[in-house]
Amino acid sequence: MSAVNEVGLKIAGAPDATGAPATTARRSWPRLWRLKWGLVAAVVMLLIVGVAAAAPWIAPYSPVEVDIRHRLAPPAWMDRGTPDHVLCTDQIGRDLLSRMIYGGRVSLLIGVAAVLVSSTIGVLLGLGAGYFEPWVDWTIMTLVNVMLTFPFVLLALAVIAVLGPSLVNMVIVLGVADWPLYARVIRAETMTLRERDFMTAARALGMSHLRIIFRQLLPNLVSVIVVIATLQVARVIILESFLSFLGLGVQPPTPAWGNMLGDGRVYMLNSWWIAAFPGLAIFITTLTINLMGNALRDWLDPHMKL
Amino acid sequence: MKRYALRQVVQLAVVIVGISMLAFAILHVIGDPVTLLLPQNAGKEEYERYNKLLGLDKPIYVQYWKFASRAVQGDFGKSWYADTPAFKLVLERMPPTLYLTTAGLVTALLIALPLGILAALKQHSFVDNLCTMAAVAGQAMPIFWLGIMLIIIFAVQLRLLPASGYGTWQHFLMPAFTLGAFLAPITMRLVRSGVIEIMNMEYIKTARAKGLAERLVVIKHAFRNACIPVITVLGLQFGQLLGGAVITETVFAWPGVATLTVDAIRNQDFPVVQCAVVLLALIIVAVNFLVDMIVGLIDPRIRVGA
Amino acid sequence: MRRSLATGLLVILALALALVPPAGAQTREETLIYSLQSDVDNWDPPNSVLREAIILGYHVYDHLAVRDLKTRRVGPNLATSWTNIDDTTWEVKLRQGVKFHDGTPFTSRDVKATFDRVLDPTKKMTARGNHAKIKAVDTIDDHTVRFRTDGPYPLFVERLTAQVMQSDKVIREKGHEWMQENPVGTGPYKLVKWNRKQEHQLVRNDDYWGPKPAFKHLRIRIIPEKATEIAELLSGGVDIIKAVPPDQMDVINKSGQARTGTSPILRTAMLQLDQAARSGPNPFTDRRVRQAANLAVDNDAIIKFVLNGLGDRVAAGVNPMAFGWDPGLKPYKQDLAQAKKLLAEAGYPNGVDVLFNEGPPIVEPAIQQTNDAIIADMTKAGFRVKRNYIGDNTVLVARIKDGKAGSMFNWSWGYYSVFDADAILFDVFKCGENYSYYCNPALDDLIIHGRSTLDQKKRTEVYVKAQKLLFDDAAYLYKWGLRGVWGISNRIEYQAPADEVDRMFLVTPKKK
Repeated sequence: MSAVNEVGLKIAGAPDATGAPATTARRSWPRLWRLKWGLVAAVVMLLIVGVAAAAPWIAPYSPVEVDIRHRLAPPAWMDRGTPDHVLCTDQIGRDLLSRMIYGGRVSLLIGVAAVLVSSTIGVLLGLGAGYFEPWVDWTIMTLVNVMLTFPFVLLALAVIAVLGPSLVNMVIVLGVADWPLYARVIRAETMTLRERDFMTAARALGMSHLRIIFRQLLPNLVSVIVVIATLQVARVIILESFLSFLGLGVQPPTPAWGNMLGDGRVYMLNSWWIAAFPGLAIFITTLTINLMGNALRDWLDPHMKL
Repeated sequence: MKRYALRQVVQLAVVIVGISMLAFAILHVIGDPVTLLLPQNAGKEEYERYNKLLGLDKPIYVQYWKFASRAVQGDFGKSWYADTPAFKLVLERMPPTLYLTTAGLVTALLIALPLGILAALKQHSFVDNLCTMAAVAGQAMPIFWLGIMLIIIFAVQLRLLPASGYGTWQHFLMPAFTLGAFLAPITMRLVRSGVIEIMNMEYIKTARAKGLAERLVVIKHAFRNACIPVITVLGLQFGQLLGGAVITETVFAWPGVATLTVDAIRNQDFPVVQCAVVLLALIIVAVNFLVDMIVGLIDPRIRVGA
Repeated sequence: MRRSLATGLLVILALALALVPPAGAQTREETLIYSLQSDVDNWDPPNSVLREAIILGYHVYDHLAVRDLKTRRVGPNLATSWTNIDDTTWEVKLRQGVKFHDGTPFTSRDVKATFDRVLDPTKKMTARGNHAKIKAVDTIDDHTVRFRTDGPYPLFVERLTAQVMQSDKVIREKGHEWMQENPVGTGPYKLVKWNRKQEHQLVRNDDYWGPKPAFKHLRIRIIPEKATEIAELLSGGVDIIKAVPPDQMDVINKSGQARTGTSPILRTAMLQLDQAARSGPNPFTDRRVRQAANLAVDNDAIIKFVLNGLGDRVAAGVNPMAFGWDPGLKPYKQDLAQAKKLLAEAGYPNGVDVLFNEGPPIVEPAIQQTNDAIIADMTKAGFRVKRNYIGDNTVLVARIKDGKAGSMFNWSWGYYSVFDADAILFDVFKCGENYSYYCNPALDDLIIHGRSTLDQKKRTEVYVKAQKLLFDDAAYLYKWGLRGVWGISNRIEYQAPADEVDRMFLVTPKKK
């Protein structure tokens, strides 16, 4: 398990890599046109984020307001549906639309925060592994391999068993679990960049390691990091629903799309809408993020393989 | 090749030791086993006696050594919950999980290989976009939702398949598909980008120039090389697949080791947790080793480089 | 390369298929399939606290006495009769011609060995508490035993239904460890195979002394996911499931494949409050806080709207079906103003933080929804509830026993199927017992008094007093007596049992 494994995940390590990172020549308008889907996705994403951010002003009800007298009301357009609750009410009479709006906040927050954690760890270790002596590389890559070999769910369960389920812990678990991906990619990138002229020049000028890493290397890696991070946000949102399924996700009554979907699974035979709407929200959001990520990748560096 | 294999073996050993340390650390981080084992009204003396009995009064490296030297012989101690040897419990449940993950891998390949190649050959066409959308959609689908939907459609509505359980080949279809769908999207994208990259390479162009039929070009040259990243990533994904297996096993009442481990973590049944984690890691490591060897055989460049 | 890859794939596929174990030879026609959400920890019922162990125990073992499900009274089984020789001695006559699954005849020695094992304090058997009043068992002849009790023991006969008869020979020759996985009983079914957390396969005991089961094969499957369990019932994969969520009853009844059956069951649901401070100091040690909790929650509305009426209010824990229940005591009614006032008096005018350990939806139907509703009500009164979900019932049970269950937790008590107030008061309210987080010497006196007289009238009076005390002191947050919901396949006849012990040997195929 050495350099071989990067083949799948690395970005520009192949012999035919085109040289200058983040080529400006490609940012032309015809290319942008091809990225129209990415633009549409960006608009949708902006909308989702906007709605989530404005939750307290938009949501018709409090997301935790229980009304057991009006449980399981179907969406307004179906039989027995009421215009009071446009989408429907859940198993305990909470307004599903409000919970979706607030849930989006929590899900996106977890996604972004976890990605910040994992990208920070991953990028730092990746840079270290790619830049410094072989033994540093070896140590870090062994750690990466251990992490990749240790099944994520078990890690998540073990950590949550220690720390107890909470939003912060969720972010830690998801963040810690995902860093090896960044480390591998960044390492491979760094290794190719290290041999470039501008790096040799920097070293010749006697710049310090830290300065080279953060002034010369990192700026050239931003596009890669942004692309992976974008795609990982979608992954984390899905993973949160996994944890919720196992009862280790965001704890009730706080709404998150994942735990709403998890709670609704028993109702899929009759009140299917309880699971369907949060499921749809996860679906649309991750779809949007993926489209954005793909477009971003095409735009920044079409040779990226992810 | 020999030196390459040797290097891999050394790293393997280090990874395995790392995993076993991690597994051992779980016990000491999660909780105090003695208080878990003793009745609540036990006195301090009884506590000390138990502490000594379990060898917990010794320094941690002595404990680890004892644990490791026993583990090598397949002795992980007795399950605290079920009163039987942990090794036996874990071994019993290993085959169902291995079948499930293998079946999931095969399913993923059956979906991903044809679609990925098709998408690559018709790059930027309607078909390509459709495949990409399908992959993104697949990634955005929570696995337990898919599993329950399959049960509702194929078991409850159509009565074609048993809803859950383990035993006949019919029992395999839905879990394998569920797990396969979890892995297929990423595999498809890798096949696609792998084939695209290779189709642009010089030797393919040469082959074409020589007037070789397009079909032959694809099959003989492109496919073979595109396999490398796919195989590599499949090896890496094995650990992730176990995460998916926890959910799949729960939904389909599949008696595998993934659910056993999750239960054991919840029951704080440390011998079983340690045994399962170490054995699973061994399997993952072995799979990855195999993958590396295969890739090394296919692609001679790798043996030299790294 | 292409060929070798294809071959490789084929090999993997073939391997995957070849390794699948062959299906069982039995036909679906003569097989009954019952499902449970979680498995037993062992096949040794007196060594387990789980309801599942009691249920499985009924199929492979027999009890000295059993309850008639129609009359709800206890009648003979392996014992044919019992008499009070004096206040502290019971003589029991045993059935003749009964054989264990290994062929050895059932005699008084087995009864003695069974009780000796359970009562031995060094063995730490879970069931010991049930029989602690029994001092000794003497064999008079092969089919007569005498029980000597520690003072008068009014529950003696009831408790005979809570102890399976195990074999003297097995206890002596095979030992404790072997018994954890290998049950040898006299019951209507024999265990063929146990795949842990997957399935129990049982086959009819054709030498059974009593009426033989209608179905030759019995499979008991473990299906952890409720949605899957219901799907199995609807697709004909499983014949009986229990603890159907009330919201899913219409799905089952409209399916044409199965129907639901309900029965009030001998189980009381509560939120136990840590009055005794077993898991450390907490606000519920103050009576006013406990009363406030009881006054905060509108349980009547929850029963009506969340449980679809499937619940019976209890005023102080004792189930309406149990002997000693006081029909005159009226449960708490929601009164938020009073609850807030009490909290303020207790020193929490701005609300109070409490920790709530939630259990999984295994025994109580719709527990998540009712918890949500209860917490919402408590929040209105000023409780700030921090919820901690525990996904595994055995973990919750272990925490409770260890005194680590926190200030408030889900608990429901099934009385070990003994229809008597003592069966809940002793285990769940008496100071120092495993599952009790309440400690009050005045109550303990009443409990001891109640279990040491054979005079049923006097006992009733004692229990009325005890319930009044528990109500006034608001020991726990009292919820309701449960009603169970079963999902039953239309291919069979089955009567939902009031004691929650599903008896698959009573199931018959539906007459066409």
